[in-house]
Amino acid sequence: MFQDFLFTYQSLIDAVGINGLLALSLYVVLALGQLSLGQAAFMGIGAYSSALLTTRLQLPFPLVLLAAACLPALAALLIGRPTARLSGVYLALATIGFGEVLRIFYVNAEITGGALGLSGIPERAGFLWIYGTLAAASAGLALLCRTRIGRAMEAMRQDELAAGVMGIDLARYKLAALVASAALAGLAGAFDAHSSSFIAPGEFGFDAAVTILSFALLGGTGSPFGPVLGAVILTLLPELLRPLQDFRLVLNGLIIVLVVLFLPRGLLAWRIGRVR
Amino acid sequence: MLGQQLVNGFVAGATYALFALGFTLMFGVLRVINLTYGVYFSAGAFLALALVRNVGFGLGLALPAAAIATGGLAVLIDALLLTRLRRAKAPELASLMVTLGATLLLYAVLTAWLGTEIRRFPPGLVGGAVEFGGIRISGAQALIIVTTFVLVAGLLTLLRRTRLGLAIRALAENPEAAQLMGVDAGRTVAFVSFASGALGAAAGVLIGLEYNAIQPYMGEAMMLKGFAVIIIGGLGDIGGALIAGLLLGMAEALTAGYLASTLKDAVGFVLLVLTLWVRPDGLFGRASARRA
Amino acid sequence: MIGYARAALAALALLSAGSTARAQNSEPVTLGAIEVLTGPASRYGIPIKNGFELALDDINAAGGVIGGRKLAIEFQDSAGTKEQAVNAARGLIGRDRVPLILGPTLSTEMFAVGPVANERRIPILGTSTTANGITAIGPYVFRTSLPEADVVPVTLEAAQRKFGIKKVAVLYGNDDAFTKSGWEVMKVALEKLGIETVATESFGAKDTDFSAQLTKIKSLDPDAVVVSALVEAASGILLEARAQGFSPHIRFIGGNGFNSPTLGEIAGEAADGTLVGSPWFIGKADPANQKFVAEYRTKFKQDPDQFAAQAYDALHIVALALDAAGAADPEKLATSLIAVKTTGVTGPFAFAPSRDPADNSGVVVLEMKGGRFRILE
Repeated sequence: MFQDFLFTYQSLIDAVGINGLLALSLYVVLALGQLSLGQAAFMGIGAYSSALLTTRLQLPFPLVLLAAACLPALAALLIGRPTARLSGVYLALATIGFGEVLRIFYVNAEITGGALGLSGIPERAGFLWIYGTLAAASAGLALLCRTRIGRAMEAMRQDELAAGVMGIDLARYKLAALVASAALAGLAGAFDAHSSSFIAPGEFGFDAAVTILSFALLGGTGSPFGPVLGAVILTLLPELLRPLQDFRLVLNGLIIVLVVLFLPRGLLAWRIGRVR
Repeated sequence: MLGQQLVNGFVAGATYALFALGFTLMFGVLRVINLTYGVYFSAGAFLALALVRNVGFGLGLALPAAAIATGGLAVLIDALLLTRLRRAKAPELASLMVTLGATLLLYAVLTAWLGTEIRRFPPGLVGGAVEFGGIRISGAQALIIVTTFVLVAGLLTLLRRTRLGLAIRALAENPEAAQLMGVDAGRTVAFVSFASGALGAAAGVLIGLEYNAIQPYMGEAMMLKGFAVIIIGGLGDIGGALIAGLLLGMAEALTAGYLASTLKDAVGFVLLVLTLWVRPDGLFGRASARRA
Repeated sequence: MIGYARAALAALALLSAGSTARAQNSEPVTLGAIEVLTGPASRYGIPIKNGFELALDDINAAGGVIGGRKLAIEFQDSAGTKEQAVNAARGLIGRDRVPLILGPTLSTEMFAVGPVANERRIPILGTSTTANGITAIGPYVFRTSLPEADVVPVTLEAAQRKFGIKKVAVLYGNDDAFTKSGWEVMKVALEKLGIETVATESFGAKDTDFSAQLTKIKSLDPDAVVVSALVEAASGILLEARAQGFSPHIRFIGGNGFNSPTLGEIAGEAADGTLVGSPWFIGKADPANQKFVAEYRTKFKQDPDQFAAQAYDALHIVALALDAAGAADPEKLATSLIAVKTTGVTGPFAFAPSRDPADNSGVVVLEMKGGRFRILE
């Protein structure tokens, strides 16, 4: 019976873990006050590259994961410099624009299977890989917040100008955060490809970026656990609301609106690493 | 073919500019990423459609009626959602989020109520066409071009030559100082909300008329192009929105006509990314990209 | 939560039913169905559901399946997204223990769901999925919908024969799996018939502005324009073409996405003269079809379309397979399904060894006139 339970809910359980990773990837940049929304794009790079490496070159999974983390990180290095000057909404739009350009590339390129996407990717990413990575990343980030680096991030988030004056190397932190965010998102993409065995360009565009943003904003951005909580809730919600059919989306939106109106700092308002 | 492609592009560009007008006003002045703008676009189209089909209005009545009603809706939504957050000085992300939630909610309500089939205005609502030298411009297309230019002229006059316009500009520049100088923030903000809702609705009606594709999510599809136009034109810059819109429209038409139609969608994003890279303040550099 | 409790009770009921399968019982046989019931693609999913329900009434009125057991369907909505389709499939297999899954509606969904069902050796039957490569997913994946590869060549050949078409322009949606696959089929068919392609243009599924592509096509003066699109884009294309003053002798030829009454509703007169191949036609004169159409109209207050017709036939096919298998057992069903031969409202049906339909003799070429389809004369 338990086997059947696992089978029935496997996709859902995997999705929660993967979305948690994506939420963390967004947290990394939000913690510095950067509204960089490239996670969906980096996820796409990770998903496609890992899928191609597994199906065409039959590389072992750990190696594929490494590539899935490194390739997006490289992309982050490339776009990190030009976007460093941007802030707020401009940064958000630049990263979304980047994601859409990539999506159009996936739709048109032969190697990515175009609109049909890639299917038949063997199932390699199980519960252990996904949740193991999620736990490690959360723990790592939580610990990081208590160190000097964490305080520097908090300072940048509060007031970038003052932080710079205090000697914090803004450019370096921003780039590092972007690279880390890209690596996490890339891993999430590889897990997605290797658990649902089928990827298509539409999963990595504007809609996905907005969904990831909603995880962080629902859960609160004070600590790494906030966005993960948001991811858990928003991933499970459509399934729980299934019986409601048409009203499902209405309720989804209503919940988000109410939470933000009455809890503008998100569900988990606790801020990690706050010096008392 | 070149002539016709340029016309196609010009018309498409006018539609982008029309969409962007209300968007840039709201964005530039209220400094909030209000994602519900797309909903006003859809709502306007549906309202006008209902007025035309069920009440028998002609377009000349239906369009302004829909615009005014949607403007009212915009004021209502702003009052319900954003004023509260403004007073509580909530983080900027909060207004982004609440409008995101409101957008999801409103689209879902529209879809649940109206269904997802595509509707169109009764054929022949705006008839006629002009042909010269192998180029053809339909009545609806001419209406879009004229309306866009008229609205741009009207807005520019409002902003530059009236007290209200002065108040809006002052509020956009420095809200605290403006209020100290006697600007009634509440009323001005309400007016800007109304105006942007009305403009969005007008755009929805005209674009729905031209492309025959009225469905609840029609606003969504325009949003990304809208973002591109207002960034390229500069936030809050009305003239910039017009030029950026026309530019984008023509670039897309020429790309599809002479390069490859697969690249058409990419044009907007490439221009957006380029602008943000090279000149984030927009074509005319009147907005400030550093302030969030 | 209530939904889950209900599902749990149903599962318990089914489990106990399975354990007394040897004894004579009147437990219903419940199949699973995953269709798009909300969202834009519901225009395809809802007629399918209607077709199933009509067939259910007929089958149960005639005595049910496997010696008197009632047939039932557990419908799950995928809302057009692969995640929900996959979750629905897993729920139907793991929790509800269905012996067979009907659907999903879209080819894109089938690529995600098919492997899941196949891995658990549960037969899955697509009634509307027409892209290439569906049945290649695995030995438990079946489909009763005629692939585009069987319909499009018939349409093109008829057009060539009747109108002497020598050169065409092609227009297709490049970011949807179904329309892109349809285009690939068209490419091959055009080559085989020796028809020259003067231009190939594309658009995005959400696009509403086709003026640039159509202006270019018009300037090349083709004999016909072959379009692979879903119905929204198709209507927009036809309307724009009419607005641009395309001469009526330039025929528009469409793939399966054109096969919806919505085309006539939205495009109206602009759709006149459009050609599309279809496995079914509402005006087919045989008594079975006329009875189906009349019953559908009475029950649902609207005309059926080909999706409803295919779904109706598909459930009858499954019922026959159940009777032949003698039990609601997935393995036995998979074996008996492939041997079913029958005639439904869409004409004679049998499976080919590839688990696709074997027969495309029922394909008719339709022409749109005055907002309605009629057979091309």
